[in-house]
Amino acid sequence: MEIDEETKIELYTTMVRIRTFENRARILIRDGEIPARSGFYTGQEAVAAGVCAHLSPSDQIGSTHRALGHLIAKGCDLKGLMAELCGMSSGLNKGKAGPYHIFDPSVGALGANGIVGGSVPMVAGYALTHQLRDDGGVAVSFYGEGASNQGGIQETLNLAACWNLPLVFVCENSSPEVQRMLGHEIDYPQLSIERVSDRAQAYGIPGATYDGWDVLEVYNAVGDAVKWAREGNGPTLLEFNVHQIEGNLEGRIEVRDDERIWCPIHRFKERITDEGILTTELDEKIRDKEKSKVEEAAEFALRSTVPAPIEAFKGVFAGGP
Amino acid sequence: MAERLITYSEALNEAHRLEMASNPDVVVFGENVSSGWRQVTKGLKEEFGRERVRDAPITETAFIGMGVGAAIMGLKPVVELMLVDFGLVAMDQILNQMAKSHYMSGGAVKVPMTLRATYGAGTSSAATHSESLYSLFAHMPGLKVVIPSNPYDAKGLLIESIRGDDPVLFMEHRLLYPMEGVVPEEAYTVPFGMANLVREGSDVTVVATGLMVGKAVEAADELGPKCSVEVIDPRTIVPLDEEAILRSLRKTGRLVIVDEDYERCGFSAEVAAIAAEKGFQHLDAPVVRVATPNVPIPYSPVLEKHLLPSKEKIVKAISQLVGY
Repeated sequence: MEIDEETKIELYTTMVRIRTFENRARILIRDGEIPARSGFYTGQEAVAAGVCAHLSPSDQIGSTHRALGHLIAKGCDLKGLMAELCGMSSGLNKGKAGPYHIFDPSVGALGANGIVGGSVPMVAGYALTHQLRDDGGVAVSFYGEGASNQGGIQETLNLAACWNLPLVFVCENSSPEVQRMLGHEIDYPQLSIERVSDRAQAYGIPGATYDGWDVLEVYNAVGDAVKWAREGNGPTLLEFNVHQIEGNLEGRIEVRDDERIWCPIHRFKERITDEGILTTELDEKIRDKEKSKVEEAAEFALRSTVPAPIEAFKGVFAGGP
Repeated sequence: MAERLITYSEALNEAHRLEMASNPDVVVFGENVSSGWRQVTKGLKEEFGRERVRDAPITETAFIGMGVGAAIMGLKPVVELMLVDFGLVAMDQILNQMAKSHYMSGGAVKVPMTLRATYGAGTSSAATHSESLYSLFAHMPGLKVVIPSNPYDAKGLLIESIRGDDPVLFMEHRLLYPMEGVVPEEAYTVPFGMANLVREGSDVTVVATGLMVGKAVEAADELGPKCSVEVIDPRTIVPLDEEAILRSLRKTGRLVIVDEDYERCGFSAEVAAIAAEKGFQHLDAPVVRVATPNVPIPYSPVLEKHLLPSKEKIVKAISQLVGY
């Protein structure tokens, strides 16, 4: 698929936005302004950017506990997002959600999820609604290779296939070589197969594995799967190999030399620079603009007020007690 | 016009049909819901089509979670859980996602979903096909828990569930399906959190749910003039009409709770705690619970019957209290 220059700059900008935001959040965690640690998405930006570039606000995603990348790429308001991380009443979810439960229906971000694999069955409901309304909408379910073993995901793959739902399963495999989960010492393999996408065959749907550090590869693969779903052909299982990368507290987008090979931003920058699409001036302009947007979001969050304690009791039910 | 008698399952079927006819967002799915021999959903597929009435694979986690997602999108899913016991395989979707998404999202999303489940013992079906379990679900903030005890309430409460904005666990005792009662033909609602004063009395208050409401009334009738028994059916245990229970207690000073769910940390314990905390000054005798003991429900009819609350056990409990 030929991808135009404008789309390439958009993909690059989205990735820069995600990384800039996450590094700022790291600083706010260090400073105690964000009261808890969070799962980060650093190194995986190409997947969120490449997937969400094909979606409109009327398409939905379900996400994980590394949701920030997905949420930003889907178009969540950065101020509301940062305020939510800080637990403020101006947060997207009034300080009730925190990083693991953010919902923003206005952009179709439904939602982060604190239970590994927990959002996946719900995404089938988003897809079912599009199918019943016959509106051409799709839903995308993000999850990781650890979650891919969960029963609920196997069940949802089967159900989506049986009902031909417009659903794209996106598995981000962050340990493609060693089949272990970052930060855990795991002596036994977590997957009985080479590739998570091999499981697509068991449900009679298309599935394939791609390099998740190459944003154009992601963009192309997802474009086909989304089109396939919109046209009523049913679900697809896409696996993207990724490498999680350490962020930093210096506000740098650049990563350590040994991590560069996996860094989607570094790789794509080189590519579009070679293609003559990205000049040094344009790159600086994009970075400065994203940095100032993120800074605005941080200032907004820090200026916001904490919820009144009585708010804890509100909103257990929508329709009264 | 003569009052019309229909069964509990016919009343539930009628509630589905009326709401599906008036609201295209109402959809039904679950295991075998299109089957002609499933009493509650019978005929729905023929009337409303296979798009809106769907048989799901036997994967409770997937199809209950799908209901949560569809509800968030603005549909009104009525999802059937064949037996409440089977809900235990889908606890994350029920207790985390269905119950808490509205609160966790700070109100950004709503989950107007009805999860219907049959429950209850008395059919020699043993421990994974006989439980009540509503206390387990009532424990989690965010779920409304509804237990109709008669055909009229069944229809009105189901319509209220479907029209509401919140996730509802709707519990149907399978031995109540053939029960007949007077049910109006048109759509109507029975509000949540409003107990039904089933039988007025002045000596003892009996709070009972579901199938146990009928057993409590039978016990009261048997005691006759010896004791004036008031029977209260909360109809919904979340929200719970505490005031109706306390009002009755002010009159009688004595409380028996009849609950088919397990006794420990159960609904009967909750009502006893309310009486102790908020009605202590009205109590003339200790609170007595007639609930299923903390033993998995066994298969053999003799064993099963030995454990379950019964008219005889209720009569005995009331008699003890009167003599206190």
